[in-house]
Amino acid sequence: MSQFPNIQPPRFFLRLFRWFCDPALAEDIEGDLREMFQREAASGKILQARLQFSINTLRLFRPGIIKKFGRQSSFTHSSPMFKNYFITSTRSLLRSKGFSMINIIGLAVGLATFSLISMYVYHELSFDRYHKNADRIFRIVENLRTENELLLQSTSSPPMGPRLLKDFPEVENYVRFHKSRLLAQRNNISFYEPNCYLADSTVFDIFSFNLIKGDKKTALREPFSIVLTESMAKKYFGDEDPVGQTIKMDYDHYKVTGIMEDVPENSHFGFSNLISFSTWSRNNKGGEESGWFWNGFHTYLLLQDAQSAEPVRAKMKDFIQRNIEKGGMYYEDLPLQPLTSIYMATQRSWENGTRGSMSNIYILSIIAVFILLIACFNYINLATARASRRLKEVGLRKSLGALRRMLVVQFLGESIIVAFLAALLAVLLTWIALPAFSTLVESPLSFSILPNPWIMAGVAFGLILLIGVLAGAYPAFIISGFQPLQIFRPSMKGIYSHHNFRKFLVSIQFVISITLVAGTLLVYDQLELVQNQDLGFNKDAILVVPTNRDTTIVKHFDAFKNELKRVNGVLAVAGSSTVPGQSTNNLYTEIEMTDGKMSPTNINYIFLDHDFVTTYDIKLLAGRNFLHENKADDTTAFIINETGMKDFGWAPEQAIGKKVRLDGHEGRIIGVVKDFNYRSFHTKVEPLMMVLTKGIGRISIRIADNDLPATVSLVQKKWNELIPYLPFDYSFLDVDFDHQYKADQQLGKVASIFTGLAIFIGCLGLLGLTSFVVERRTKEIGIRKVLGASVTSVVMLIAREFIWLIVIALVVATPLTWYLIQEWEQNFTLQAVINPLRFLMAGLSVFMFAWLTISLLSFRAAAANPTKALRTE
Amino acid sequence: MSRYQLGEFEEIVMLTVGILHKEAYGVAIIDEIEHRLNRKVSIGALQTVLRRLESKGYLNSEFGEATNVRGGKRKRYFSLTSLGSRILRETQEQRAELFKAIPRVAFPKS
Repeated sequence: MSQFPNIQPPRFFLRLFRWFCDPALAEDIEGDLREMFQREAASGKILQARLQFSINTLRLFRPGIIKKFGRQSSFTHSSPMFKNYFITSTRSLLRSKGFSMINIIGLAVGLATFSLISMYVYHELSFDRYHKNADRIFRIVENLRTENELLLQSTSSPPMGPRLLKDFPEVENYVRFHKSRLLAQRNNISFYEPNCYLADSTVFDIFSFNLIKGDKKTALREPFSIVLTESMAKKYFGDEDPVGQTIKMDYDHYKVTGIMEDVPENSHFGFSNLISFSTWSRNNKGGEESGWFWNGFHTYLLLQDAQSAEPVRAKMKDFIQRNIEKGGMYYEDLPLQPLTSIYMATQRSWENGTRGSMSNIYILSIIAVFILLIACFNYINLATARASRRLKEVGLRKSLGALRRMLVVQFLGESIIVAFLAALLAVLLTWIALPAFSTLVESPLSFSILPNPWIMAGVAFGLILLIGVLAGAYPAFIISGFQPLQIFRPSMKGIYSHHNFRKFLVSIQFVISITLVAGTLLVYDQLELVQNQDLGFNKDAILVVPTNRDTTIVKHFDAFKNELKRVNGVLAVAGSSTVPGQSTNNLYTEIEMTDGKMSPTNINYIFLDHDFVTTYDIKLLAGRNFLHENKADDTTAFIINETGMKDFGWAPEQAIGKKVRLDGHEGRIIGVVKDFNYRSFHTKVEPLMMVLTKGIGRISIRIADNDLPATVSLVQKKWNELIPYLPFDYSFLDVDFDHQYKADQQLGKVASIFTGLAIFIGCLGLLGLTSFVVERRTKEIGIRKVLGASVTSVVMLIAREFIWLIVIALVVATPLTWYLIQEWEQNFTLQAVINPLRFLMAGLSVFMFAWLTISLLSFRAAAANPTKALRTE
Repeated sequence: MSRYQLGEFEEIVMLTVGILHKEAYGVAIIDEIEHRLNRKVSIGALQTVLRRLESKGYLNSEFGEATNVRGGKRKRYFSLTSLGSRILRETQEQRAELFKAIPRVAFPKS
């Protein structure tokens, strides 16, 4: 044996053994193990000895040998003790049912709110992540430098994709989209399809859209091929198989070559059908090859990997110089937007699809955390306040030898129990509130959007533990910290000294409530402002009906207008390519500068008829409107808006007569109109040109606003008489226009609801706290009354503590809210002045609720018969 | 009587402890069983049984001196308690009585 004194058994197994073995048995068993090992090792079979040692160790892992995990630390923490904790916890929860209810309901509402908002945030952040290549797809966008400004556009031109693919080895593929609104017709079914997209045949290679029928390689290859989504197929073909059949879109017939699943809702753009890009290419050969300034397309690139974006970006300047001819307006840059960031990115002009708002996400998340905090504070407050009732129990436990650690475990356990009960209730509440909430935020939330249920359960469990510990930690350490002697001694000084901490928490709750109330009021102020702001045109009582350049209407437009004007209640009728609130055309234009040179730029266009300016009540600054009398002259005339005029450095009169060249035709500016907001206040007014056209896409009908429904039905009747095949798919301009503030309105609605909830939870806490204060001062109140105090003075006595807190909270909340709202208002070009009165109102309303809550209880105490109070022992 | 049921392995371990008298510690017991009965016993199995018997009060144990051989770990020597001895005896008597009760016919002499 002594020949091999240095041979040691496997370290790992030895350590393992020492870890799991009951310490009472460890010594001699380890000795046995070593003895056997050394004996075997001495005979030379070291490897076998080590193996045998390992096996022996593992075979010791059996009940009777392994230590008792979980309760080894102290003999008092045996299972009966835990059972006792559980019993006393349950008893104390049941004994004060009111407090427990307040805690559980408050926490449950907080948790439910938190999970609803989390689901919303999760959904908002999940956009476009379902694509297999999500991290490799980038959208090409443009920064255009014009004479006077930098235009940020989301669009790109048709040659860019192909040329990038040719020039950059990092670019693996590209797909171009162009959105249009087409009238789809089949048999007797006809509707406007607002989201028709031209798409290259590569779309299915790049995006993970699921093609159910058809070949993804060839489906969009031939001109006049169309791929329908399932819901569109159902709409026009019912149960028939659409593949191989045709459908008419505007004036052309398309062959259905495939059916795809509907675009998932969490995509930054959606469509009902895809039309082969070759349909467009065959008529626009020139544009596809050299239309570098034809910025009506969205191009997405598939790069080799996510890291390739950097090298591509580095070479972009060179790419622009090589390919795009120079001019006064030029491409400053072609940035690449990662696909998954597009939904939340700051909007650029001509975005496809809807966009989320990161600031809304932040605001909602903050609200969610706030509400949860309020609920946790309630627990902390009530638990510390109630500590006095548990003091005897604590004192007894301590006298009998309980360690502080054990008491902490007990009280933490109690708050975790409460958190669990609250979580159960919260799941129920969430489940009930989800449909309503999902309508409110207009996003299809359901439990099914969540990831793997196990992960969810894990996260939920973690959250509950966290809240339990967060809410329970302070009371647990405070209560367990009392000295038994202190507790049983008659003078209980020092025990109630946590009053200040409670006050601190209550004031934070007030700060949060006031911030939320004032914030919500100010959000509504801002929305009110932008919606009622003078837009520079009259948006009320205008019906907009799309015609999609219907040839009959175009041919007989004047007669058609006159027929409509004869309808009772119709005041004016105008035709145009687009209407305010909808996207405009952005076209390459050359304009005569002050020095006489023609300078190239990109300008927004509205194509319209003679009556548009008057129908919309747009004011002229200089020059004149288009005139019916001199038709020949005005077909080449332009009207510019105020911003455009200023941008080019003209005075109003100077603008008149300036030469403009558009698409090869030259004309002159005949008028300047006062700026009108043809888009929302999220973007500033950009330069705009107005030109006469016959290609009317939309008809605007101004009607008398005294009896809208009757007039609308009269117009509809007339419409159906005149052109029975075109759907009278009308909408009100003001509604459509205000739809641009949808996200902001949602924020307002959601914020006000959650503000209400926050106040509710806060008041619950206050209710509990007041009832505690009242209970503690029962005798005092009794004596005061006996000595002649009035009910009011007693109520005041109790309420006074809280009123000061509200005043302090108001002082803290005001600058905070001021700052937050100012940040938020940066989203608009027009900002409401922050009204200081709103803070006062918020403070007052929070005060009102708090006062009601407090006086409810204190009044009962004050009004009670004092003898009763004094008799209680 | 039925309270004192010994398992077969328990009985062997107790007998071995008796045989080794004063020298009965883990490795020695394993060796003895292996030697006499040609039967492999793992430390795990043995230790569990030893502790169980000890907790029932059939065995006693005490630490011996520390030695270098065992990495400085002491041996734990087991010995039969008087209760343990009684149980062993009773078990043996039970077996003997059962043995005697077997009819001759069913158990031909070899």
